[in-house]
Amino acid sequence: METIYQLIAGWFAGKPEWLPLAIAIAVPILFIVGVYPAIFAYTTLVERKALGRVQNRYGPNRVGRWGILQPLADGLKLLTKEDIVPRDADKFTHFLAPVIAVIPSVLLFAIVPIAPGLVPVNLNIGILFAFAISTASVLALFMGGWASRNKFSLLGAMRAVAQVVSYEVPMVLAAVAVVMAAGSLSTLDIVKAQTRGGLEIAGWFVFQPWGFVGFVLFAIGAMAESARTPFDIPEAESEIIAGYHTEYSGFKFALFQLGEYLAAIAMAGITVTMFLGGYLGPGIHIPYIGGFIAAFWFFLKLGCMILLNIWIRGTWPRVRVDQLMGFAWKVLLPMSILNIAVVGLWHFMGNKVLAWGVTAAILGLAFVILAKISAAGNIEKRTYRYAN
Amino acid sequence: MDYAFWTISGITVLGALLAVTLRNLVHCVLSLILFFLGIAAHYFLLRADFIGAVQILIYIGAVAVLILFAIMLTRNVTGEAGPQEVVGVKWWIGSLCAALTAGLISFAVRADSVAETLSPGPKATVAVADIGKGFVGNWIVPFEAMAVLLTAALIGAVVIALEEVRNRR
Repeated sequence: METIYQLIAGWFAGKPEWLPLAIAIAVPILFIVGVYPAIFAYTTLVERKALGRVQNRYGPNRVGRWGILQPLADGLKLLTKEDIVPRDADKFTHFLAPVIAVIPSVLLFAIVPIAPGLVPVNLNIGILFAFAISTASVLALFMGGWASRNKFSLLGAMRAVAQVVSYEVPMVLAAVAVVMAAGSLSTLDIVKAQTRGGLEIAGWFVFQPWGFVGFVLFAIGAMAESARTPFDIPEAESEIIAGYHTEYSGFKFALFQLGEYLAAIAMAGITVTMFLGGYLGPGIHIPYIGGFIAAFWFFLKLGCMILLNIWIRGTWPRVRVDQLMGFAWKVLLPMSILNIAVVGLWHFMGNKVLAWGVTAAILGLAFVILAKISAAGNIEKRTYRYAN
Repeated sequence: MDYAFWTISGITVLGALLAVTLRNLVHCVLSLILFFLGIAAHYFLLRADFIGAVQILIYIGAVAVLILFAIMLTRNVTGEAGPQEVVGVKWWIGSLCAALTAGLISFAVRADSVAETLSPGPKATVAVADIGKGFVGNWIVPFEAMAVLLTAALIGAVVIALEEVRNRR
């Protein structure tokens, strides 16, 4: 915010003092509530189109050319639907839950930098703020499931909360590795720490062995946090009932969806910031238009991450509940703890080429061992309780 | 600054009062979360960003969720069955304890003249790096003691859970 404020304060010299401040506050807010929901709307369209292609069908193509007006039609449809509240529901909590589902997701965008010096709020605790805020989304799941006074909603909420809480741990630990390497919690500093020498792309954290492991861990954690396939047990539209939002209809349901997608997009943005070099890319230092090129790189990377999510959703089967928990605690957690130690090693080894090889070897070996151990535990003869 | 302080204080006190007066346990926890948020906002107001974020992370993300989980597993969430009176002997004992604690804290603050050392000055944001250096420098012993305590709690929880698994089989 400081940078936007300084820029605007220059234009408004001589005007009242509060004016540039008000504008500096209003511009990032308008940007966040304007741009990201638009990205959300078209993500739903792209997702349905891409899933259609994966499943050998067309996807939406009736509303406008290539279904381009489909998000609008969806929104109108959801607005005109009847809002049903169960008779025994806890009315106030039932109303509050979808609102609380959206708030943390929107707040997450406050720390995602889109160009050099251009971040809605330059907090010096940026990444920590993101994790603190994203834990609040658990409350929405809980309130929604409890307030509906429906056993299935409540069970669905418990399921969802257990999943989100479990995956938060490896995700935060994966981020700790990045914070250690960058030496800062501020998102702008983390992006800056990824510039190295002339060939900028080599500095991105995803191209270091620990960074790659961290990227995979973080992407998996983010997917599970926002309940995306293959971790969409909280909803699982196709087989089991919807879970915590069973008793929601119309626009309240849409708000849950909005919160979930915004969280997924925000997490993609944070992944880009932490591992894929944020706004870094060729041509960002060109005077005048460099900032726009940087924003272009950021949104391109964001789009790639969203497409990756959609691709995974279209092609991977859903994990079972026991696999879900085992995976978080037995594979992701040891990997992320080891990753923190490896970053320390990386930091203190002078020769970076040697460090690259050594850390890659350690992490690769650890992965193979973990995979063997967790596979050995799973291979049991299946017993059928009722078929024998 | 003053308006922000009074608004946030009002919300915090409201949350605290609702947490002890509402009958429905889940509503109580939700009010408690409002109170935690108010405290976090106070930390942000005092420019202690790190502690504010940690307050949200620990108290809302972990403690409140844990309490909610515990409450879901109890019966009589609505508070309709069971003793109806709120003001009883326990209430008076609790009030006395609260009053004594408040008196003690205010006495300590006045005696230590903390208020004078904290009164208006340059409002610097506490850097996270300084907190980190404090943890591994000056305050290494309490920090490690806390780490050992938490590890012991974690291992204890695992041991208890293992016991249950063994009994089930």
